[in-house]
Amino acid sequence: MTKYVIKRVIAAILTLWALVTIVFFLTRLMPGEPFTNPKLTPQVIENMTKYYGFDKPLIVQYFQYLGNLIHGDFGFSMKYTNKTVNYIIGQTFPFSADLGIRALCLAISFGLVLGILAARKRGTKIDFFCVIIAIIGTSIPDFIMGALLQYFFGIKWGLLPVALYKGFEYTILPATALAFYTLASVSRIMRASMLEVTSQDYIKTARSKGLSEARITVKHQIRNAIMPVMTILGPTVASVLTGTFVIEAIFAIPGMGKYYVESVNNNDYSMILGMTVFYGIFLVTANLIVDILYGVADPRVRIGKK
Amino acid sequence: MKKRLLALAMVAVLIIGVLASCSTPGSDSGSAGGEKVFRYAVNTEPTTFDPTKGNSIGDNEIQHAITEGLTRNTGGEVTPGIAESWDISEDGTVYTFHLRDAKWSDGQPITAGDFVYSWQRLVDPAVSSPYAWFLDTIAVKNAAAVNAGEKDPDELGIKAIDDKTLEVTLDQPMTVLLSALGMQSNLAPIRKDIVEQYGDEFAATADKNVYSGPFVLTSTENNLYVFEKNPEFWDADNIKLDRVELNYIEKPDTQLAMYENGELDFVRLDNAVVENYKDNDDYGIYLNGNVDYCYINPDSDNPVWANKNFRLALNYALNRVEYNQLANSGLYNPYNALCFPGLSGKDGKTYGETYDVDSYAYPMEGDVAKAKDYLDAAMKELNISDPSEIEIEFVTTDAESNKKIAEVLQEQWQNALGIKVNIRQVTYADIYGEVYPKFDYEIGYAGWGPDFDDPTTYLNLFRSDINWYTPYGNKDFDAKLDAAMKEVDDPDARMDLLNEAEQILIEDGAWVPLQARNQSYLLSPKMKDVTFYSFSINIDWAYADVAE
Amino acid sequence: MMDLNKDMFVIKGKNVEQMETISRPSLSFWQDAWRRFRKNRAAFIGLCIILTYVLLAIFAPMLSKYGFSTMDAAHQHAAPSAAHWFGTDATGRDQWVRTWMGARVSLSIGLFAATINMCVGAVIGGFCGFYGGKLDMIVMRIVDILYGIPSLIITILVMMVLGKGVAPLIVALCVVGWIGTCRFVRGEVYRLKEQDFVMAAKVLGVSDFAIIIKHIIPNIVGMLVTNLCLAIPGAIFQEAFLSYIGLGIAPPNCSWGILAKEGIAYLRVHPHEVAIPALIICTTMLALNMLGDGLRDAVDPRLRGTE
Repeated sequence: MTKYVIKRVIAAILTLWALVTIVFFLTRLMPGEPFTNPKLTPQVIENMTKYYGFDKPLIVQYFQYLGNLIHGDFGFSMKYTNKTVNYIIGQTFPFSADLGIRALCLAISFGLVLGILAARKRGTKIDFFCVIIAIIGTSIPDFIMGALLQYFFGIKWGLLPVALYKGFEYTILPATALAFYTLASVSRIMRASMLEVTSQDYIKTARSKGLSEARITVKHQIRNAIMPVMTILGPTVASVLTGTFVIEAIFAIPGMGKYYVESVNNNDYSMILGMTVFYGIFLVTANLIVDILYGVADPRVRIGKK
Repeated sequence: MKKRLLALAMVAVLIIGVLASCSTPGSDSGSAGGEKVFRYAVNTEPTTFDPTKGNSIGDNEIQHAITEGLTRNTGGEVTPGIAESWDISEDGTVYTFHLRDAKWSDGQPITAGDFVYSWQRLVDPAVSSPYAWFLDTIAVKNAAAVNAGEKDPDELGIKAIDDKTLEVTLDQPMTVLLSALGMQSNLAPIRKDIVEQYGDEFAATADKNVYSGPFVLTSTENNLYVFEKNPEFWDADNIKLDRVELNYIEKPDTQLAMYENGELDFVRLDNAVVENYKDNDDYGIYLNGNVDYCYINPDSDNPVWANKNFRLALNYALNRVEYNQLANSGLYNPYNALCFPGLSGKDGKTYGETYDVDSYAYPMEGDVAKAKDYLDAAMKELNISDPSEIEIEFVTTDAESNKKIAEVLQEQWQNALGIKVNIRQVTYADIYGEVYPKFDYEIGYAGWGPDFDDPTTYLNLFRSDINWYTPYGNKDFDAKLDAAMKEVDDPDARMDLLNEAEQILIEDGAWVPLQARNQSYLLSPKMKDVTFYSFSINIDWAYADVAE
Repeated sequence: MMDLNKDMFVIKGKNVEQMETISRPSLSFWQDAWRRFRKNRAAFIGLCIILTYVLLAIFAPMLSKYGFSTMDAAHQHAAPSAAHWFGTDATGRDQWVRTWMGARVSLSIGLFAATINMCVGAVIGGFCGFYGGKLDMIVMRIVDILYGIPSLIITILVMMVLGKGVAPLIVALCVVGWIGTCRFVRGEVYRLKEQDFVMAAKVLGVSDFAIIIKHIIPNIVGMLVTNLCLAIPGAIFQEAFLSYIGLGIAPPNCSWGILAKEGIAYLRVHPHEVAIPALIICTTMLALNMLGDGLRDAVDPRLRGTE
């Protein structure tokens, strides 16, 4: 077990290093310069280039960046002068995380419930309803979903706040919009896996032992059926995260996602790098935890053996 | 069974707990009753609160409320600011300002030294302000040399004679100086001790700065910028608003919905929805001074661009009225000349009223026959037999609205002239970071926002020695501009010279003018005295009021 | 409980004639799959929708009298009508034509990106799984590292470097997209390689090449096709997402993502401009998902022979 964990951690660190290196050189390959104000004179550009150290050889800049990174220093943003990338992440990440966690909870809890219900009541109207939800969720892009939810619930019917993020009622629409896709895929997978489990021998055994249906569902079916759902948790975290890029813009949430998109469009090198590395650390850690959890939870995954 | 219920209940509590926890980061601050509050939104985030580094209209609007320059310019009306009075030397190059007893928001007196420090910091190459060039534009002595690191900051044309007297020396007379001092907040005073205390993080947040203006910034967290009345401001008695809340909300649709819900008092309207609000009482339009052009690179590898007749053919082929209808849903004003018509002209009239622009500019609806004549002349000079052999490349950013503009121009030019127009779309970072600075283009679309109320802010673009967008140069034009700058005594004669300079550019087809922008907005009827202006500041609420 | 005794049973003898008959016609794998696929109504409808869209994408722009970039100042934001079936956009361009021109782009991005990903992933994964050894280890370490990097971030950055357009978009989607297939195929091949029938073939001296062609590929191709079908909507989604954040394809080309993005600005005033592309995207996703699910059921060996 310890060996497995150590191995995973080393892989995670290597992943992060690869990420930093790839992104560092990719940003420098991007067309354009980070100084994009149309009113800059050549003299001003020269001064700014010197100020940010872009006049040094690329490789020197790279090692300098790595050095700063080890100390957790992402440097100053180029667009939002006077603000460090660390400060901006510190300001914006809590919003993204809050939104993401809400969406994940919504997606997983409702997804599981819908999946279980659909499987238990297979072929009935409830099943049909659950399948419809799953279909809608997986076939509408989240930016359309977000705009529609905002338009109908916020603007047209005035039931919920249109935008901003200042309290519980403000979180409902963006969290729902963000959760929908994941919710749908969780419910689909759960339903399929429940149905698959139903035909397994141990369920038949349990039934022949005379256990109640409810007990069978809870004790045997759900427990076993939930494994495949766990495997998609890692990718799910990633998809919720990227979903925040558009949802935050639509609902005017001061989160990190829209800063990321904006920094890419502005060639704000230090922001792109800092935020990518931060996302990377976050996702790699999430994957690592899911991997380890999965190893712990499923006895069939033999840790330490190929 | 009991166990199951318990488990279910626990799960339910957990889920509800997580979802309903009211600890959303940044909770509402709620306003107390009786306060006069103005709430509005912008769709681009302010990039900085450091007056020196401000580089956009949005930045400047914020600074305009929290800093006080030597003068204050409210919608073109220049009143004394920190400077109570001033003397101008005979030749118009030395200004002596006498400062009043004004205080910073922490109670310390504002001195002449604060201005000297601010201006020196603006051109300090080590600070690398994006607007460092501005001092040179308003002809402050040695500004360019200091910025290039060739001269010591002490040699900059600004001196503190004593704590209350400030002397500014110019290279040449600048009629717009007083007006610029009142609205360009890069020129506002800065406290040296505060900058030194916070270093690179000066003004990063509201508490890392002190304020000289009518308002102080109290919060910059979570895309909400809160301004509160500054009791130490010298003219605080005339400031009516207690609080202003500025939200950064990217989507115009979201802003509009919040306005309609009564959560905002002012929103700018997206062109897409203007038609639905045009007849409302709270609807309004302001001119923001932005004029959109196609810049031309006569030095490009494609020989057609050095040909005057070809450039004129493009200008005459364009039906600007139809273009405006298609590209902007008819919401802007199609424009056929260089200088924004809302500039101050002669005798208190605007530039557009002073001169009959249409008499010398390109025909608004185009003149295809004339365009074809020009094209024929151009083809003869270039030894081209068929227009389809001419292929030009149009560069623009990938923004949705720009894409539409490029596509409309492409259609019109291809149809009218039979030439081939290719569109090259590049990113925002590419076009302003690479394409324009390095003249890596043939013809490209971009706007120009004026810096102050004078035709030179537009005309300077085309000087041979200024290469902002285009390397274009024309000796006759340069000579006219120089003559105008030397004309100190008679402002009307100066204005005429500037107008003649504009006509030279039009006759030479130096660029392709497209439209003068305006902005539609909704403003809550309870708001009074909100001022709109076209130069560096669009909305000015410093002296605004809320009707009871 | 009653007792059982011999008297209660009768010996019926052997039915020698029918002992060896096969009750059902012998079906090849693909015949069986097709048979089950046809019975799956949802999958069949999905296939029909996709075929309809493909045909419309090919023919609709050719048959319309409107050019896909022809602007018309007199008919801006027209509602759907007999003249303009899907209405017009902000510059008076016919939405019917633009929708199907967009279909060309969206569908081909989906198809190409998914196919390239599948081929690259299958070849690399298959190679590693079949031969194993040091190469496998090295490739797998690289794959592990790449797998950990958030794919969308790499896609965005690659788009930034390459610029806008259909080809860059496909490249960007492929840079990391092949990894999933690679891992899956490697696992499958690794498992198959150990199976008795492959062992038997090896013992009989069948060449590696023949084993791959005869035994390995037929066993994974069904799953691959299914994966492909489910990967296409993913790619179309990503295109829409990238277009939405401003990194999609270059004009005058358009895609469904761009149409939806343009339309969203007019949600309040001209809802049809977003409703139509949104509906088309949704039905496509739906159809592809139904098709993919149907295919998966059809080729799943465990379901073989079931109704």
